[in-house]
Amino acid sequence: MSPVIFLAALFISVPVAIVLVVTSIWYIWESGNTILYDSFAQKMFAGLENYGLLAIPLFMLTGELMNEGGMTRRLIALARIFVGGFRGGLAYINLLTNMFMAAIIGSATAQIAVMSRAMVPAMQEEGYDKGFATATTAAGGLLAPVIPPSMMFVIFGVLAQVPIGDMFIAGIIPGLMLAGGFACVITLIGWSQNFPKGQWMTKAEALKALIAALPAMLVPLAIIGGILFGIATPTESAAIASLIAFLVGWLIYRDLDPRALGEMFKRTAANASMILFMIAAASVFGWVIIYEELPQKLAGLLTLITANPFVFLLIVNLALLLVGMVIDGIAAIILITPILLPIAVGSYDISPFQFGIVACLNLVLGLLTPPVGIGLYIASSMSGASPGAILKSLWPFLIVVLCVLILLSYFPILSTYLI
Amino acid sequence: MLYRISAAWARIELACAALLAFCVTGLILLNVITRSAGNALFWVDELAIYAMVWMTFLGASAALHHRNSVAITILTDAVPDSTRRLITKTVDIIILGFALAMLWFCWRWFLPADFASAGFDRMAFQGSTFNFIYSEPTLTLGLPKYLFWLVMWLFALGALLHSAMHVFSAPKEAEPS
Repeated sequence: MSPVIFLAALFISVPVAIVLVVTSIWYIWESGNTILYDSFAQKMFAGLENYGLLAIPLFMLTGELMNEGGMTRRLIALARIFVGGFRGGLAYINLLTNMFMAAIIGSATAQIAVMSRAMVPAMQEEGYDKGFATATTAAGGLLAPVIPPSMMFVIFGVLAQVPIGDMFIAGIIPGLMLAGGFACVITLIGWSQNFPKGQWMTKAEALKALIAALPAMLVPLAIIGGILFGIATPTESAAIASLIAFLVGWLIYRDLDPRALGEMFKRTAANASMILFMIAAASVFGWVIIYEELPQKLAGLLTLITANPFVFLLIVNLALLLVGMVIDGIAAIILITPILLPIAVGSYDISPFQFGIVACLNLVLGLLTPPVGIGLYIASSMSGASPGAILKSLWPFLIVVLCVLILLSYFPILSTYLI
Repeated sequence: MLYRISAAWARIELACAALLAFCVTGLILLNVITRSAGNALFWVDELAIYAMVWMTFLGASAALHHRNSVAITILTDAVPDSTRRLITKTVDIIILGFALAMLWFCWRWFLPADFASAGFDRMAFQGSTFNFIYSEPTLTLGLPKYLFWLVMWLFALGALLHSAMHVFSAPKEAEPS
């Protein structure tokens, strides 16, 4: 009966966290093990007692501060120095800025919202098709959960009990592959559609833009450098990054009003608690998974089909694509990790890092696919392009993501080389 | 009336959650500073974690007031208005049931009646119930842990208030645009 309760509650739009709790309550009742109710609330509390999770509100805060602090504009100018002169310059600028932003913001939806507002009007003005402009921006948003820092990697790291710092580092090569693939798509489309010619900056302009962007680049440097060289934990580097973002936005760029901090902390608390509450709920749902021996049963089924880790990952990819289409990526990673990771590691000897990267990238893809592509709708409402028009230009980017996913599934070294 | 209480309570919850988010940031920064000065404070991490947990449960309760949670809306987006209202009411009732269950779990966990009838004597309470909640210590803070666990009561009561408001208020009153 529990699976029926679970699916029914999920589809009548009960909040995902509460679906998990209600299913667990029902399951315990049905199994007659009601002594578990005594520690139910305690278990939810304990699900959050994890140092790594502190990074979630901190990275969200950094994103808020970035938005208000006028950094996006400077990062766009910085990208212009490097790629602005190519044919289709603005499209590359869009992509490169998305890479910079991905190294600061850990959430694809936040990044898509900011970048659609900043880039789409500028691209349209230079004569790009609105659908293509929005599609490029939305695809660039997919870099956010792969290039460190990444909210999803933090959550996966906590659930999988692997170091979050290593998880971040593992994401660097896949992130670069993705960006490279997107750049190829832009080049190919540029040849067929004759993109507007770009313009290189003069030396003086370039120098000015570079100096203006330097303080903003401190944020990704602090995050990635701190973790890469082992100076700070991901949590600490997130706190340092938020402090830098605040100081730069307030004192150097003077775009950030300290009086707005209250509202920013409110938004941070509201958004972070939404995700963290799902994790708390998942910890009681863990009982259901453990007592029902879901991973063992599923592993028994899957090992009958294949013994090959690559084929297993392909099956997982296919399943996750479907899951990602209907369930929000972060909710989905919270749901599937405790079930699929033990199978991947135990039965197929797959590195948890490889599995995490494949699963996270796969699930964010759902942001851009109907019917529940939140990222697609955000991009559409921010830019004014219809979801259909965006999808028409988006599919080459989606194919790139699929190719990268297959490569990542086949070559574990792509995820584990840097660790 | 219920709506106004619920709205005011959600505002307080969110303001406290924002303050706690500020505390989390401050505590971690404090940790970075003291550690790099070679004089790390060992209790900061634990306090930061509790601040985050409190922020989460206060924020999650407030989210119930605002109907601001991650949910799958494929079905509700596709059905006509009258059906959607019916589904929304059903969801509200499920959330109310969840809130009541959470309250009951907190009761079973804290056993306030038994604690009172033991004259708030920890040893007598533990002897009769084998529940050690009131003697569990925190790892580094030197405070009893039940003080931090109290947030589960706040969450259960907040969730009860907000979900009851949604169930018993007319739709217009509950969702002013």
